[in-house]
Amino acid sequence: MYRTVAQLDSAMNFLSSFFPALCTRVEMPNRSVQGRRIFALHMHAGSATGRRKVFIVGGLHARELMNPDAIIDLQLDLALAYLNGTGITLGGRSWSATDIKVMLESLDIWMLPCANPDGREYVMTVDDMWRQNRRDNPGMCEGVDVNRNCDFVWGVTTGTTSCDPCMETYLGPGRFSEPESRNIRDLCDMQNIDVFLDVHSFTELVLFPWGHTHTQTTDPTQRFTSLATGTCAPLNPPGHQEYMLPRDQLRFTTVAQTIVNDIRAVRGRNYTPQTSRALYATTGTTSDYVYSRHIANPGLRKTYAFAFETGPPVLNPNGTINVPESFHPADPTLVKRDAKAGMISLMQQSICAIEFIGATFLGLTTGLDSMRKVRDERLATTAAGAEMVALFERVQFPLLGMILVDESLTKEAMGLLDTCVKLLENEETVLTEREVERGLAFVDALVSRAESKELLTDLELVRKQLEGSADKSVRKVLDDLLSTPTRTLTKKKKPTKKPRRKS
Amino acid sequence: MAALDYREAPPTMRFSATIHALEQAADLNRIENLNIDRVPDPTGLVRALVTPEDCVRLVNQGFEVRLQQAHPVQPLNPELIESDESFKNWFDERMQSVRGFKARKGSKGR
Repeated sequence: MYRTVAQLDSAMNFLSSFFPALCTRVEMPNRSVQGRRIFALHMHAGSATGRRKVFIVGGLHARELMNPDAIIDLQLDLALAYLNGTGITLGGRSWSATDIKVMLESLDIWMLPCANPDGREYVMTVDDMWRQNRRDNPGMCEGVDVNRNCDFVWGVTTGTTSCDPCMETYLGPGRFSEPESRNIRDLCDMQNIDVFLDVHSFTELVLFPWGHTHTQTTDPTQRFTSLATGTCAPLNPPGHQEYMLPRDQLRFTTVAQTIVNDIRAVRGRNYTPQTSRALYATTGTTSDYVYSRHIANPGLRKTYAFAFETGPPVLNPNGTINVPESFHPADPTLVKRDAKAGMISLMQQSICAIEFIGATFLGLTTGLDSMRKVRDERLATTAAGAEMVALFERVQFPLLGMILVDESLTKEAMGLLDTCVKLLENEETVLTEREVERGLAFVDALVSRAESKELLTDLELVRKQLEGSADKSVRKVLDDLLSTPTRTLTKKKKPTKKPRRKS
Repeated sequence: MAALDYREAPPTMRFSATIHALEQAADLNRIENLNIDRVPDPTGLVRALVTPEDCVRLVNQGFEVRLQQAHPVQPLNPELIESDESFKNWFDERMQSVRGFKARKGSKGR
């Protein structure tokens, strides 16, 4: 069953009325083409500062009905789990009460479930395959494809971006001509979003930039900023391949793979992580636009932007794809569950443990820049360094959960983070035996609390790296990280016995 | 080629179709640049929802259009739309699980 626009709004209205400390319903700055008010829900708990901001959008394409419902369901799941101190279980994947608490207390989550309410209404009352908004193009056809209307290589036509107002993929009369796409731009402007997700259907994909061309990481001169736009002609030059920083590509692929793993754990569905271009060429999409903002304007914050294509293609008895049923299956329950798992996975991965501890407990604002620089400009440049970055991104969320519920661990994490920031001020500084021992003791404390095999393996790798670091300069330690694959470390040493947890 | 249009009247029928180049090698680029309402196809085919006018245009451009399923322009099956009553029951049921919710609700005079 699919909810009406009014019901979707009511759910958010109730949540914000009943739980104002956790949920705030916010009216978006622009009403729809037909004058409907458009609402988002802002969820956050606690008083921590320095939060990362996540923005999830659904329903841009009107006929993809299940995603607005899935986002509303997720709002309720999160609110109820937080208020009751319980976790969330979706099939075979569970998030503990601590996981939910950490997410809501360390993130600002913005959810705009129904970005194109006119379109949804039209699907329910007139045309169930309607894709666009309800723009009345003067003297011509109706509708603009809101997901082709953003200011990113706008006006460059592809097989799925058209300048013809009678086409389903019409890009609109101008960049951000449509209020529904302006709402996305405006929220990004107002909130400095860190992570963005646009939820579409179907085919079970987790997409990331770029969508207009294939992606390369070796030639920084090939940037979209030099492309002619607004031409209503194909991309010129035709062989253009868009550059992406290796660090960003690593981040996109690591996060997407984890989302895929989390969705698979629910009931075994195999989503595929890939660039948007691997599906087909597009211009003016929300996810490319949101990620491109910091490149077009270096004063803006970088936003990692993803898109989902939820749900499998539903087949007819003769084996062909039943397109209407794929867009809105008679029973979307299981697809919505997969989608929710993907959204929670993305939220979880949006948390940076170091940034959170640094900002919340130590009040660090600029001190973490040196750590980011090491990550982005050094570690991400070699395969071994990239493995360490990926390892950190894997372990940080479960570790943060352990740390935040234990005062002594929180205190020790703060102390170690402070030490790291100071050490990175001068790479010639030599690590003392005492500093290394302190780090090892912290790792042991985490090992004693860790439950999963994967986490124990990763902590063992961290321990191994740390063990050989005494009496070495910071520079040498970093060089070792850049040159020693974590796989080598695994082979060298048997896993240590799990220390007995102190009572 | 100008689009063939439903400028005079909106379409009453769409088809799920796959689109194929007749001369494969020569048309590989061209097929990527069609103005069509493309939908994902896990097997990599060019799949789209097309109107009869789209079909004519595509055939005139030298493509083969294989229609797979007709779908009349129609509202969503009303049986798939949640009623207000069932929505309210669903929401109330979920709210029952919140500790102390009734008290809060009462205090608001709801």
